[in-house]
Amino acid sequence: MKRLLIAECFKLFRQSKTYYAIASILIIEGIILISAYFEGTNIINLLLDNLRKTFYFNGSLLNGNLLQYLVLNTLWFHLPLIIMIVVSGMLTAEYKDKTVQTVLLQPVRKWQWILSKYIVAIGFTVVMVGLLFLTSYWLCRGFFGEGDLVVYLDGLSFFPAAEAATRIQWSFLAGTISMVFFAVSSLTLAVILKDVTKTWIVSALFLIICNVLLKIDLGTAWLNQYALVKLNDTWQYFFQYEIPFRIILLNWIVSVFYISIIAAVGIFIFHKRDIG
Amino acid sequence: MISGTHISKQYLGITVLNDVSIDCQSGEICGLLGANGAGKSTLFKILLGLVTPDSGEITIEATSVKRIGGIIEKPALYEYLSAIENLRIFAGMQGLPTTRIALEEHLIRVGLPIHRKDPVANFSMGMKQRLGIAIALLNNPSCLILDEPFTGLDPMGVVSLRSLIKKLTAEFQLAVLLSSHLLEDLNQLCNRLYVLHRGRLIRQGNTQAIMNACTHQYLLTANNLSLSTSLHHWQHQLKGDTAEISIQPGQVSDLLAALTNEKIEITSCIPQPDLLLLFEGESV
Repeated sequence: MKRLLIAECFKLFRQSKTYYAIASILIIEGIILISAYFEGTNIINLLLDNLRKTFYFNGSLLNGNLLQYLVLNTLWFHLPLIIMIVVSGMLTAEYKDKTVQTVLLQPVRKWQWILSKYIVAIGFTVVMVGLLFLTSYWLCRGFFGEGDLVVYLDGLSFFPAAEAATRIQWSFLAGTISMVFFAVSSLTLAVILKDVTKTWIVSALFLIICNVLLKIDLGTAWLNQYALVKLNDTWQYFFQYEIPFRIILLNWIVSVFYISIIAAVGIFIFHKRDIG
Repeated sequence: MISGTHISKQYLGITVLNDVSIDCQSGEICGLLGANGAGKSTLFKILLGLVTPDSGEITIEATSVKRIGGIIEKPALYEYLSAIENLRIFAGMQGLPTTRIALEEHLIRVGLPIHRKDPVANFSMGMKQRLGIAIALLNNPSCLILDEPFTGLDPMGVVSLRSLIKKLTAEFQLAVLLSSHLLEDLNQLCNRLYVLHRGRLIRQGNTQAIMNACTHQYLLTANNLSLSTSLHHWQHQLKGDTAEISIQPGQVSDLLAALTNEKIEITSCIPQPDLLLLFEGESV
């Protein structure tokens, strides 16, 4: 298994598309920061002009914490999309080039090979979110400095600078689980569809549906809490005044359960299916 | 040794293979001949374990952990990696040594240069075939299956690959099963031949015997062929110094002897197999 994991990592990081993906995320992040720099101050001033008269804010409101929060918000669509493209490509490229045949003609167990892909996909996703966190942390604080965080979730909430940084770190961790969910789903879609373009289209559709359903009332409290698509905004709980740790933990457990089921389905289908 | 007995396979109700039995002994090269869609690739995929047959049994006598190696349709390689890196991936995943020296030995075995560091996407088809064979032979399998190995090769590449296959078969006592559309290659390489038509084996046996059974015409080229009188004993069509002669294989030596007696200088005599008879079992 270790040998398969090494081989998968080697292949992933020898492909130019992996670096294109990393570059894309950094470019998006850069664009957000630049646009925030040029336009953000005016918007913030406009929004919070009245509040300034009542409250005292520590530092500029257009600060590193707010920018990192903005990066966090905007990348929950872009990041999974890019991750899904790279991760699904880990398998669809093997189908397209028929290297899947060459691999499975070696004394390698089918389920172990596909499991190694799932593990590397999860590892890659964690690295990508980690990279996003570190770059946004350094860039945002480097250019915009520290300061209190103001967010709007059902109403305006304010957090002191130090507390805001901790909340952002936790939300990145929660977001990692959501990203892993999308990565694993795209790999399972690749197992089912095999074709590069079809997998991209269905993955993008899946992501859009998940985002749409996230905002729709599913009718029952249970569904609204534990439906697959409703767990992807767990990271937002870290911006409630009282962080509901019990709900967050439960959401994480249910998310890990869904991720495991989706991966198991992919492994089962791949193992049972002929490589024709 | 590899053998497949009574193999059948259907896809969506269409019979692709129907009770096919095939075998190949160690040190033997067996050819599989058939038109497009005859079921050759499916049969090979079943023998390689990539596709499960509906019925039938496959037996491979082997001592190595890897019992069989092969290439289906074209060598499938990681095109963005170099030859050494491809070998490192495939050797590494099965626990074989991945030192530079060990990997270079695999390249030398198939006659590939050891110093090329560029991606295999830049390689010629002949070089890719060689690398594909090197990967197929990792871990010393006792059987090798090559599906259309000569496709896309230039004549020099064909000759070169043919001698490599012969050399490896003799050196490692491999049981080699290969398919090709090129009759000349199968004729030169294969000890025995199987002919597949619409999923059924319609011929099997000694290659030469099968070729003879399906050959009733020869293309004869000779100087002053139009002056020959003995040529008129057989039905023929003369075009300059070349004649297409309808003749049974057993009578060819008589014809050649007669022409030699007439001081006709023969430069070539090429059998022209009846392709319809060979591929489909029906004569033109």
